[in-house]
Amino acid sequence: MTEQMLSPIVPTPLIPRSFTTTESNKTGSWRFLKPRYDEKTAPCSAACPAGEDIARVEMLVAQGLFKEAWETILQENPFPAVCGRVCFHPCEGVCNRKEFDDAIAIHTLERFVADTAMRYGIQPDIARRPVQGPRVAVVGSGPSGLAAAYFLARLGYTCDVFEAKSEPGGILRWGIPLYRLPVNVLEWEIGRIRSLGVEIHCNHRVSSDFLRDAGDRYQAVFIGCGHHRNVDLGIPGENLDGVEEGLPFLERVRAGERPDLSGAVAIIGGGNTAVDVSRCALRLGAKPVIVYRRRRQDMPAFEHEIEMALEEGVELMELWAPLEIAPHADGYRLVLQKMEVAAEEGPRAQVRPVPGETREMVVSKVLKAIGNAAEEAWMEPPEGDGKLLRLANTALVRRDDGPVLVYGGDLAALEKSVAHAVASGKEAAMALDTYFQDGWDAIESKVSACRVGQGPSLSMEMYLGGERCRRNPHVVAFQEINTDYFLFSPRLAQPRLLKEERIQGFSEIDLKISAALALREAERCFNCGICNQCDNCRLFCPDLAVCRDDNPQGRRINYDYCKGCGVCVVECPRNAMALEQD
Amino acid sequence: MIEVRFHGRGGQGTVVASILMAKAFFQAGYYVQSFPLFGVERRGAPVEAYLRLDKTKILVRTNVYTPDHVVVLDPTLLEGVDITRGLKPGGWILINAPEAPPNLHTYADYKLAHVDATRIAIRHRLGTRTHPIVNTAMMGAFARVLGEPPLEAVMEAIREEVPAKPEANMAAAREAYESVVLLGPVAEAVSA
Amino acid sequence: MKKVVEGSHAVSEAVRLARADVISAYPITPQTHIVELLSEYCSDGTLNAKFLRVESEHSAMAALIGAASAGVRTFTATSSQGLALMHELLHWAAGARLPIVMAEVNRALAPGWNIWTEQTDSLAQRDTGWIQLYCEDAQEALDTTLQAFRLAETVYLPVMVVLDAFFLSHTYEPVDIPEQEEADRFLPPFKPAFQLDTQNPSAFNQLAPPNVYMEMRRSLQDAMESALDVLDTIEDDYEKLFGRRYGAVEAVQCDDADIILVTSGTVTSTSRLVLRQLREKGEKVGLLKMKAFRPFPFEALRKHTAHAKKLAVIDRNFSFGAGGIFAQEIRSALCNLARRPLVFGYVAGLGGRDVTTDVIEDIYWRTKTSAHPEGESIWIGLHQPAPAA
Repeated sequence: MTEQMLSPIVPTPLIPRSFTTTESNKTGSWRFLKPRYDEKTAPCSAACPAGEDIARVEMLVAQGLFKEAWETILQENPFPAVCGRVCFHPCEGVCNRKEFDDAIAIHTLERFVADTAMRYGIQPDIARRPVQGPRVAVVGSGPSGLAAAYFLARLGYTCDVFEAKSEPGGILRWGIPLYRLPVNVLEWEIGRIRSLGVEIHCNHRVSSDFLRDAGDRYQAVFIGCGHHRNVDLGIPGENLDGVEEGLPFLERVRAGERPDLSGAVAIIGGGNTAVDVSRCALRLGAKPVIVYRRRRQDMPAFEHEIEMALEEGVELMELWAPLEIAPHADGYRLVLQKMEVAAEEGPRAQVRPVPGETREMVVSKVLKAIGNAAEEAWMEPPEGDGKLLRLANTALVRRDDGPVLVYGGDLAALEKSVAHAVASGKEAAMALDTYFQDGWDAIESKVSACRVGQGPSLSMEMYLGGERCRRNPHVVAFQEINTDYFLFSPRLAQPRLLKEERIQGFSEIDLKISAALALREAERCFNCGICNQCDNCRLFCPDLAVCRDDNPQGRRINYDYCKGCGVCVVECPRNAMALEQD
Repeated sequence: MIEVRFHGRGGQGTVVASILMAKAFFQAGYYVQSFPLFGVERRGAPVEAYLRLDKTKILVRTNVYTPDHVVVLDPTLLEGVDITRGLKPGGWILINAPEAPPNLHTYADYKLAHVDATRIAIRHRLGTRTHPIVNTAMMGAFARVLGEPPLEAVMEAIREEVPAKPEANMAAAREAYESVVLLGPVAEAVSA
Repeated sequence: MKKVVEGSHAVSEAVRLARADVISAYPITPQTHIVELLSEYCSDGTLNAKFLRVESEHSAMAALIGAASAGVRTFTATSSQGLALMHELLHWAAGARLPIVMAEVNRALAPGWNIWTEQTDSLAQRDTGWIQLYCEDAQEALDTTLQAFRLAETVYLPVMVVLDAFFLSHTYEPVDIPEQEEADRFLPPFKPAFQLDTQNPSAFNQLAPPNVYMEMRRSLQDAMESALDVLDTIEDDYEKLFGRRYGAVEAVQCDDADIILVTSGTVTSTSRLVLRQLREKGEKVGLLKMKAFRPFPFEALRKHTAHAKKLAVIDRNFSFGAGGIFAQEIRSALCNLARRPLVFGYVAGLGGRDVTTDVIEDIYWRTKTSAHPEGESIWIGLHQPAPAA
């Protein structure tokens, strides 16, 4: 067809069209609200007594950066392989993911990261200060003492650790059964502390004289020798021959003894020691019965340990208190008093005897595990001393005639746990370093500046002014997570020996997990409050104002174009941004 | 104008028979229209299709209400479906059946033809033994009944349009063309 | 070459001949056969086009808006609910002046579910800026589709080719299918006046504030107004090549008619038969076929109906609260004339009910015997509700 045939006049289409680059429109001039990257604190991290940067650890695991994840834990805790096995993991109890489907298996992942490092014999790259003048003595090589030595050594202080027993580790070595913590794992962790230059003097019992004379060689003494004196039941027959204390029993078993037990064995108490004793007794052939004056929910032992004990066949008698232990042809006659709940106030119910209701049971052995106290008076922080400074997990005493004393571990911590012992050692290291550098009066404020969230957990990363100092103490709540970006997915199930296999011996119960499982589990983590480079801010920005950058954040906001709409903040899945008045 | 109604069951090729007949008649110089019963189609359910033929352009675009002839592809439809609905007196009824239906008096107003298209289809392996495809055989028979279109036009339509086994289908059409039984006006057959 | 093909496939063949570049559609009865054949053509190489499968009609239109903006020839087809879902983007396609061609198979809207023919779906889109052309048989559907590409690409407006469900879409009849080279002579490759171009980047269809928006709307209306003349020119070409033309309206024996039947779609074809029969009886009746609904053929309508006494408009559609849509528009087109026919608005054949020769004759005789229309719209063939007990 020829052009002339199109005779009608067709008007040119009029449509909106622009050839100008939109870069000339500096939309940033419209802004009255300003987004910024604002990393916040994850609830798990705040709940961890050791203040581990868990959200970041899981991010690194999800990225396959296992070594970096391990080093991130080591920044706050010298015992990832130990804690990945024995910690009571309060982190999981506050995990925001719990509100969505199930909490992240943080405990299992911690162990995975540490075991991976152990398997490949990896050495961590952790910054150390040059050697400082002051020297510190550490009494006791349990978790608090070793943690104190670890952190002090990293801060440049020469530490000598004095251990009364033949090998270091304290409760970790002697009080925790092998099925929870194999000895090679502990030795690997202690070896790393030694490699920092920490001298551990075993078979070296320290007396009160030591404190008096220590001033010659040490500017400070950390006392972390734990609670070893047994608390009495205060009933007839408790000192009968063969009525044994819990901790020494565990120590014997840990040392390799295999006492031949059979028949019913009564374990009196409700703490972790009682549970550990009962499970060891079970493995030695007994039918253990835990006799507890309160109820299961009142037991100070960790719930998951109680559960496993019952699963294995340990029996629990609740609301029975021992009245008397007497000899019997088949062992011992135990007289028990029925108790009832009198009041529910406080963490544990108050109980009282039910008049006239008693019972007797015959057992082959009685093991007492009702608690322990400091062995000697000098091991307790002196009350009412004007020069006493009590921090969350330590107590410091400044003396005119000797080195500064720091009471830590079970002697001063909020709770008796490995994680609290680590917290105590870290707090002591921060406090002593501050004392040596800035003086006594600076301790409180400087230590509290390192709180994770609202505390009392402390962060060595923050103390050292590391990258993660920028973290806002605000603890991210579940409502602040944009769950549109997460899919429901089942929590990793910790593989374990079968119940039948467990009670055959002292093999470790919890089994290894594969890297594939670890990656998948770590990917479930919301990474509350931390940027994991998901790029949502950049993808959603209508003004292309979010730019990739080489800075540690990995992102930069070009405020020439950011008009402050806030879509980046809303679409951040994990509340790692903030919008504020410009 | 001639209007034809095809009765069959969903899956038997009833609509295709109507279309192919349209093509055959078109080849023979007719103007044609072919369409199915408008609605949903379900396998096994009774279906209808229609065919219009004329020597000039067909203007009417409505449903077929008063067909001149009826083609029944499935003899089981004789019970339950009123195949003579609207059928003009004197119109042909072509039934796929080995012999004439028993109640001949029902069709007294019409002319009847039958062909064993099922047997023919099975012999030529069209479809399966349980579901033989009888439409091409019925086309051949129908061409014989009306005297139009020429068998060659039917063959041509099948050759061009049937994708599977065109030769077997053509053979079936031819066999049906040759074997269809034309009873003629039923009234006469009954009285005789 | 003349072949017996299905109405739907007549449209498919036209799209093949038009060498469409991008086709995107979502299946819906009774449109599906159109794109089904086209997808076969795309897969077997008969047609070198990109066939985009999408999750909805809305997406189909969105895809074509993108493709047409890039300057290629585009086609889709839909019906009823599918067209309703496209509504937002119909405005966009027209406002963006994209020459998209769509086959719209008229189907009644639900509920109750109904797959049969009715024009309300397409007429409800009358204000979107799309050209609408209604067809009466398969040949016209093919010819109009082929013409639609050239019309769209000349005036830069999208074109809807509208056909009745089943009575046209599913009916086989002889259709003269042009050869490819003839079609190529009629329809040259699309040379867009504007398109997305990485060498010459520009932003399209951004903010149009009050100071420019009205001019853009006027520009669209100017294009609409030019479309009738352009269609006429295109039909000149088409007639020279293929010997067929239709016109925006077609007047059959209107000059001396007292009563003119006004129809669209397949009802027109059946009405031609009725017209012949009535004329044989000596009735002075004419037939006006409305092919173009948008742009509305005001002048042609006025010219062909000026001498008649009565118009009997048959609407297979309805605007609730008003009346049959063609009747409404015809009344408004005539209202300022000094001498104008009475307009009888009949509503018939909704939801696929058959509009038979009897129905059309009934409409004629009612019109002839009534001095005035008995209402805004007269519904034909309604079943009487059972008397109350």
